[in-house]
Amino acid sequence: MSDEQNLFGRQLPLASGPANSNSRPAIVTIGQRRQCQRCHQWLLPTDQLPNRAWYCRQCLQLGRLTSQNKLYTIPEPNRFVRMKGPILTWPGKLSPTQGAAATAILDLARQRRNQLLWAVTGAGKTEIVYPALAWALAQNWRVAWVSPRVDVCLELAPRLQQAFGHVPQTLLHGKQKAPYQYCQLTLCTTHQLLRFHAAFDWIIVDEVDAFPLATSPLLKTAIATAQKPTGSHLYLTATPGEQLQRQVRQKKVAVTYLPLRYHGVLLPQISVCLIWRWRERLAKGRLDPKLIRQLQNYQQRGQRFLLFVPHVIDLKPVAQALQQAGIVGGLTVHATDNDRAAKVQAMRDRTIPFLITTTILERGVTFPNIAVIVLGGDDPVFSTAALVQIAGRAGRHRDFPTGAVTVYCHSQSRRVRLAQRMIAQLNRQGKRLGGRQQ
Amino acid sequence: MTHCLLCHQELHPQMTLAQFWRWQPLPVPVVCPRCEQQFERITTMHCPQCGRQQTSLAVCHDCERWGDVPLRNHAVYTYNEAMKAYMQQYKFQGDYALRQVMMEPLKQALAQQDYDVLVPIPVNQETWQTRGFNQVTGWLLNQPFQQALLVTADHKDQPQSAKTRQQRLLTQQPFSLAPNAATVLKDRRILLLDDVYTTGRTLRHAAAQIYLGGAKAVTSLTLAR
Repeated sequence: MSDEQNLFGRQLPLASGPANSNSRPAIVTIGQRRQCQRCHQWLLPTDQLPNRAWYCRQCLQLGRLTSQNKLYTIPEPNRFVRMKGPILTWPGKLSPTQGAAATAILDLARQRRNQLLWAVTGAGKTEIVYPALAWALAQNWRVAWVSPRVDVCLELAPRLQQAFGHVPQTLLHGKQKAPYQYCQLTLCTTHQLLRFHAAFDWIIVDEVDAFPLATSPLLKTAIATAQKPTGSHLYLTATPGEQLQRQVRQKKVAVTYLPLRYHGVLLPQISVCLIWRWRERLAKGRLDPKLIRQLQNYQQRGQRFLLFVPHVIDLKPVAQALQQAGIVGGLTVHATDNDRAAKVQAMRDRTIPFLITTTILERGVTFPNIAVIVLGGDDPVFSTAALVQIAGRAGRHRDFPTGAVTVYCHSQSRRVRLAQRMIAQLNRQGKRLGGRQQ
Repeated sequence: MTHCLLCHQELHPQMTLAQFWRWQPLPVPVVCPRCEQQFERITTMHCPQCGRQQTSLAVCHDCERWGDVPLRNHAVYTYNEAMKAYMQQYKFQGDYALRQVMMEPLKQALAQQDYDVLVPIPVNQETWQTRGFNQVTGWLLNQPFQQALLVTADHKDQPQSAKTRQQRLLTQQPFSLAPNAATVLKDRRILLLDDVYTTGRTLRHAAAQIYLGGAKAVTSLTLAR
């Protein structure tokens, strides 16, 4: 790959660039303040080095930028290799409701509108985008499929590789060892977009309401900068946040709803079970008998389950309490767990009967035939969106379209009730499209 | 609300009653207690020569191998995973703000040392240009020091941290004395300050030069061992 291709639509700090590249200072002074030109965040007055240079702490993870650096770029020329063979090699078929959503997305993409696909968990969002993506690639558009979660990217990469067999693709994330490749379809985490400048005609943002994108202005500007001025984006989520819903109401973002899962069965509703002062009880090493009985029942029936707890420190006492009650064989998993991927894979392979987890497994994972239990659902870490996503882990498979979702909490909480209301509303809309209760 | 410099979690400093009665500015923490615990302080049970944490007070194997090139070094922390990660981000990624994490511990450690003049190990001109700071002087907070050593950049084809033990031991003398060194060092007790003691090569080179400058005694302090 030539140096030129490396710079197409990107912004990199180099010692010197090719003749046809543009450069601009990495940090510019605007009035009294200084702004990083890669992440567009303001520097603090304390971010100065002893050699008088300024540096940006916000995007330090991607390599430090100082006021001595220059960012080099070559405007995106959309110079791709011609594809040999059909673009879409996906053998599957969309259901009628999915097909309607896919057509709507294709129409909006054609008009270069910014849009949102608001589809319930387990609706088959990825597949719904395929026809529009195939069209975009046929138009010689450069497309990025991004997500704030690296797990989502890693799970998506083989699927896209299969569905678009002849399209050159590249996967970028923080731990990627392979060197960068100039490809028409780029799959990456939102952080990686900071290395791009006016590169993409279309950006698909998967799980747009997920941490850290939802709370990070840096990542939001990264999407805006990586998109061409003439480009557009598509947001995918089951639980859009307040801000995004407002943009929909203001008609700044076009929206396509899909309130029904691909197998046509309605979402499982959350049932709430109050357990008074479970934390005090857990401190003594015991769990509520109601919960224990339910889990023992699951274990006897061979029903596998996911048990969500609020915090990492709760994992160990809960696991011990379950062991005492004779519920054994499961594992615990959290975000900084070194064996995280292996444990999740073990659950997928059905080698373990249950997982005790924090909110990291709230989205982007699919286990067939699973029951979901949330302990301490009134804890603030379980936002309404998180609860809807967690409930959405149940009943995703065609052969097991139902599943129980039980939330145990100390007291009634507004977030849990809002989550129930959101599911009920989606189910009402789903029924109109012919959803079955089963 | 401030955030922990290392893990970016919100800080909730707790004020004690003693601090309240003292009626002085409150100490402002820069890292959370969880991150602070990751760094292991070296106790009194350490090697008398290199300062390595061990279970006895005997001279350690590495120092025995040095033979008759003695050095009296003290270290504040063990060089564990957390310290490695910290050094990586501070020194090699160049996050100068992280200097604040070690300012307070180092200030306390310096207060326990007996010395007249503090001499930090310098960085070469090229590192100064690219990194933008000297990682050792970055930790100093209003403590007076003398830049009595200079580093000659010629032979530094490869950073110390990228070499094996054998290669490091073969390193040539990289330091020379600054023009004003004689006046600063003459008959004084000198404390050398460096970031990490790995083989002891760098500090022994520096100490040799300092002795040439007429110093009475040379000891050293490193952040990690």
